[in-house]
Amino acid sequence: MIERRLLPTLDLNFLGTAIVIAAIGCMLIYSATYFGDPSLYIFRKQLLWMAIALVLMAIFIVVDYHVLFDIAPILYGIGLALLTYLLIWGKIRAHTKSWIQLPGGFQFQPSEFMKIFTALMLAKFFDSNDRAYLNLRSFAMAMAIIGAPVLLILAQPDFGTAATFAPLVAVAMFFGGMRWRFWIVLALVVVIALPLGWKFFLKGYQKERIMIFLNPERDPLGSGYQVTQAKIAIGSGGIHGKGFKNGTQAKLEYLPARHTDFIFAVLGEEWGFIGVVIVLGLYLFLIMQSLSFAKHARDRGGTFLIISLICFFIFHILINVSMQIGVLPTTGIPLPLISYGGSSTMMFFIAIGLMLNVDMRRFVNV
Amino acid sequence: MRVYRDDQKFLNFRINVLLWANVTVFVFLAGSFWFVQGLQADKYRMLSEANALREVVMPAKRGLIMDRNGKILADNQPAYSLTIDRVLLKTLVKNDPQHKPKLFEFITTILGIPAAEVQARYDKGVAAGGMQPIMMGEDISMEQVAMIQAQSVIFPEVNVDPVQRRNYPYGTMAAHTMGFIGEATEKDLANRKDLKLGDLLGKRGVELMYDNYLRGKDGAQYWEYDSKGRRLGEYRPSRKEPVAGDNLYLTIDFELQRRAEQYFIENEFVGAAVALDPRNGEVLAMVSSPEFNPNVYSKRFTPEVYKTITSNPFKIELNRVIQGLYSPGSVFKTVMAAAGLDSGAIGPDTSFDCGGSAVFFGRRFRCWQKNGHGAVNVERGLKVSCDIFFYNTGARLGVDKIAEYAKELSFGSITQIDLDGEKAGIVPSTQWALAKQHRKWYPSETISVAIGQGPLIVTPLQVGVMMAAIANGGTVYRPHVVRTIEHQNADGTTNRLRVASQALRQLHMKPEVIEHVKNGLWKVVNEDGGTGGNARISGLDISGKTGTVQVIAQSGWFSTAGLPFMQRDHAWFASYAKKNEPQMVVVVFVEHAGAHGGTDSAPLAKMLYEARFQDQVLNARLNLSDPETLAQLKEGKLPQPGVAPKEPAQTTPGLGH
Repeated sequence: MIERRLLPTLDLNFLGTAIVIAAIGCMLIYSATYFGDPSLYIFRKQLLWMAIALVLMAIFIVVDYHVLFDIAPILYGIGLALLTYLLIWGKIRAHTKSWIQLPGGFQFQPSEFMKIFTALMLAKFFDSNDRAYLNLRSFAMAMAIIGAPVLLILAQPDFGTAATFAPLVAVAMFFGGMRWRFWIVLALVVVIALPLGWKFFLKGYQKERIMIFLNPERDPLGSGYQVTQAKIAIGSGGIHGKGFKNGTQAKLEYLPARHTDFIFAVLGEEWGFIGVVIVLGLYLFLIMQSLSFAKHARDRGGTFLIISLICFFIFHILINVSMQIGVLPTTGIPLPLISYGGSSTMMFFIAIGLMLNVDMRRFVNV
Repeated sequence: MRVYRDDQKFLNFRINVLLWANVTVFVFLAGSFWFVQGLQADKYRMLSEANALREVVMPAKRGLIMDRNGKILADNQPAYSLTIDRVLLKTLVKNDPQHKPKLFEFITTILGIPAAEVQARYDKGVAAGGMQPIMMGEDISMEQVAMIQAQSVIFPEVNVDPVQRRNYPYGTMAAHTMGFIGEATEKDLANRKDLKLGDLLGKRGVELMYDNYLRGKDGAQYWEYDSKGRRLGEYRPSRKEPVAGDNLYLTIDFELQRRAEQYFIENEFVGAAVALDPRNGEVLAMVSSPEFNPNVYSKRFTPEVYKTITSNPFKIELNRVIQGLYSPGSVFKTVMAAAGLDSGAIGPDTSFDCGGSAVFFGRRFRCWQKNGHGAVNVERGLKVSCDIFFYNTGARLGVDKIAEYAKELSFGSITQIDLDGEKAGIVPSTQWALAKQHRKWYPSETISVAIGQGPLIVTPLQVGVMMAAIANGGTVYRPHVVRTIEHQNADGTTNRLRVASQALRQLHMKPEVIEHVKNGLWKVVNEDGGTGGNARISGLDISGKTGTVQVIAQSGWFSTAGLPFMQRDHAWFASYAKKNEPQMVVVVFVEHAGAHGGTDSAPLAKMLYEARFQDQVLNARLNLSDPETLAQLKEGKLPQPGVAPKEPAQTTPGLGH
């Protein structure tokens, strides 16, 4: 397994930053829930998820990513099987069938883990495809790898989670290399597909969300309520914030989804602009560091794995943070390493582990 | 596995593109947050507080009202009021539609008022809007509080709130000066932006005139409510402490006020009395009898009480000192004497022969003394209140000259006292007759005015201000009832603002004129045969003028004591002491007394002087060089204060005007 001499090449700054962000997340979850949940059930559960996630991360650091590339098709296959199982036997919860019940009252979202498996599968594909530009066949291949789970998730139907696979498409096209004519064709397809998608694929509540995003006054107490309350929370925090546990918006439950999707608003309310800048800075450090890993990775597969995973991070961070102040519409996308949630916490820690894994094994002669 | 990758450059370039794109987006996001948290923070902070906090008014403590020596005349007493938390009520009604009728029935039983009244109070509170609790009952008893608390499980929305109730510990004491408070009317609310529905404010007297000082500034408590409408606790950082109102020290002297009121109550007199300090215009006592009890007025729900007050035949709401308009009668002879002397119409030695009556402008006018006074000069004219002397003076002056002096001596216009509703009275003149009555002035009317009858009407306070101006040698002061305003600072210290005395004008009169008038007024009380002998106190120079006002036509004067109340004469006594060092002016007016001023009004003045100059009076009585005092001391008897050792001789039965 791991060789002792690899240890000094483990990037502790990167790992430390991730753990600091997760620790801030725990504080925010505590602050957002202690009042309405005096038994701290949610907070303790998150600590449990964190512990499990750290163990999983350790495993994904220790096991050489080339071994993972080898078993990627198996993992990918299991993921597809679980998603299919959900479609047939899954129970509808909040409009979608995205959760698998486990014994002991636990449940998990296979779509979160599918992100890792799809990223591994895609990286494995690009490891063997070393052309600077994609040809039509390899483009189709890459799209098929991404498309299979996306279609299954869309059928749940979980538009938000399906959309989180978009960074993989971008990675495939931008880093896989696409010629100009492809970009033009793609642009045309998008222009035609958008209205069609609006008409046939989007559910009523999804359309409503987009409409409200375009015109927030449309329904201030309905779907627009979340953004309004989040903005009140963030704005009222001002520069210095109201202080730990003092955010009235979060504490008094005016802010919906305050420990999950809108936890960044709690940060804005209690820690103010200073807290916001610090957390954004930590994220930016994580992104810059991982991109430097990508440049120095030993092989093309490693580079693509890191880029795919960090693009998940970037996508989640940008969408989540933007929707807090109404820059983008509200979607159920968690904030990496901070939002409450077992599946997403584990998924992001596994991703951190995998990036460290590739970086640790960057030297050819090891 | 490749050691060197030919696509490395291509990838690195694109990774750098991704990197810088990220940096750009992060900077943009930070900018967006700056916009919300830095620039619009205040807006969102207000929205956040509006979300979670509900304001509950903390009423400011109304300032105390004290007499000049700090005796408390109006304070605040802890009381309980019954309110309904409308937020809680809403959810309760949602769960149980029958809850509201049950609640109304409960409140009806507790307060013991008609169901319609309960509904009316509730509707009024709802109409006020907002989230403020609805006021249902004020000043409820401890038994009622216990009954409410016993049912608090069934009616959790019914609260018993501690409030401050305005309290006047001496009841009717100085009621007209103090005034009372009441709930703001719609008119008040329209005029003053700082008032809320249900606020209590001064309605009369000092409570009204100094309301801005007394009321202070209401504070606010902010209660935190969660998104489900549950009250959690107080949000301290937003708390605004109420600012207590300023305390007022009146110029009123408790002792003098008490004695003056006692006099009216014991004798069952209707009337007015005012004591002024002639050196600065301070009002030392002000009585209007009968009085009302401001404790009854100063409540929120009292429409029926208002009715009983306004329908009282004795007009108890009227502050007779400043609102009662009466003929001054012989008291006006003081003005006539000054006018005659100063204008040169008469000299100090000009003498008229009084034979009991005389003819002016074809009409016969009588003196109150049927047998006549013989030869009368101005000082004697005042002393015996000879009508014939002043008829002649009036005839020489003419009504316009009289009006000129009367106005200079404060009649015909308000004295500008710091109380509401002051009346100006009427000083007739030829011009007045033309403008107000559209008729010619008849010279014979001037003769009536000369002895203070006719269309001339004045307030007791105007008489007091006139007397003060004579007493102090010619300065007309603005009378006032508030002496000091005491502002309480947040740190517990106080700032005292002394209300400055204000000289309105200086009389344009020769000093010797005032001296002659003062001599005459001194003789009224202190010389045998004067009409004001009842006010005489040994050891104290009291000067004054009596007056009797006929309510019904008489030929000559006779006692009206046996006549029906409304037909009896009014009695005046206007005075000051001491002659050369004036410190107090006392004006007493008794409505329908039946007797003359010297009998019914002078004794009160005397009592007040005795109280005011107690030390001096006692010293005079205990003068050891006086053999009589020595004899009394030897017998172990000390003279009683308030009882003059020797009654002045009564020369005329019924005395004079």
